[in-house]
Amino acid sequence: MLMNAFEWIRLIVGCLFILTGMVIFFTELFGVFHFEYVLNRMHAAAMGDTLGISACLIGLMIFSGLNFTTLKMFLIIVFLWFASPVSSHVLSRLEAATNDNLSAHCEIYEDLEVLERELAAAKEDKNTEMKEASAS
Amino acid sequence: MEKEMIYHTLFILLLIVLSVMLLICLIRAVKGPRVADRLMAVNMMGTMVMVMISILALLLQEGYLVDICLIYAMISFLSVVVISKVYIGIYEEQHHNQEAAEGGNADERV
Repeated sequence: MLMNAFEWIRLIVGCLFILTGMVIFFTELFGVFHFEYVLNRMHAAAMGDTLGISACLIGLMIFSGLNFTTLKMFLIIVFLWFASPVSSHVLSRLEAATNDNLSAHCEIYEDLEVLERELAAAKEDKNTEMKEASAS
Repeated sequence: MEKEMIYHTLFILLLIVLSVMLLICLIRAVKGPRVADRLMAVNMMGTMVMVMISILALLLQEGYLVDICLIYAMISFLSVVVISKVYIGIYEEQHHNQEAAEGGNADERV
């Protein structure tokens, strides 16, 4: 039996979503092997947890049609939206708490006011540059 | 049936690609120099296994596999949080013991 046009559209749209998910998973793997330090790797790894699985599951939802399986897949996506940032945060706290020479990998401000002053100074510089550019 | 053949082939191909990615994740988990590396790799493997279970649910036409996927997501999240907390606790305890030992030695020298 030949498929009608609606079935073809469903197949193609679902395939596009799943392909997006696979590309995001591949990017995640590449980033995890490319970066040197855990806190950099975590940035790549957290992307697949939310965006990659969302794209894959939306593709599978389109394949499955309207039934309870679709609803459960949507529940998985919603749960991961909440859970993935929390687990990333806990992992980075683990790294910051147990690494003795963290300052070899990133800048550490003992006093947060120093960082705030630096950020404010950088912002003022940017504003003056923009004003000069618009004036000229 | 043409339609079922197409879906079957697509799902099998996706499963093969995902298993290769899972093996690469496992390499990261074995190589990772720090504990956070390994935990992060295990978290990534959990995500990929969730997609695999959902694909299997559609491939085998068994809706209850998606329930298992939901529970897998919860347990994977719980395991990452609990292992991180336990490891932070162990590390601080060791650190405390070391400092206490050094302090004790310093006292003896005096």
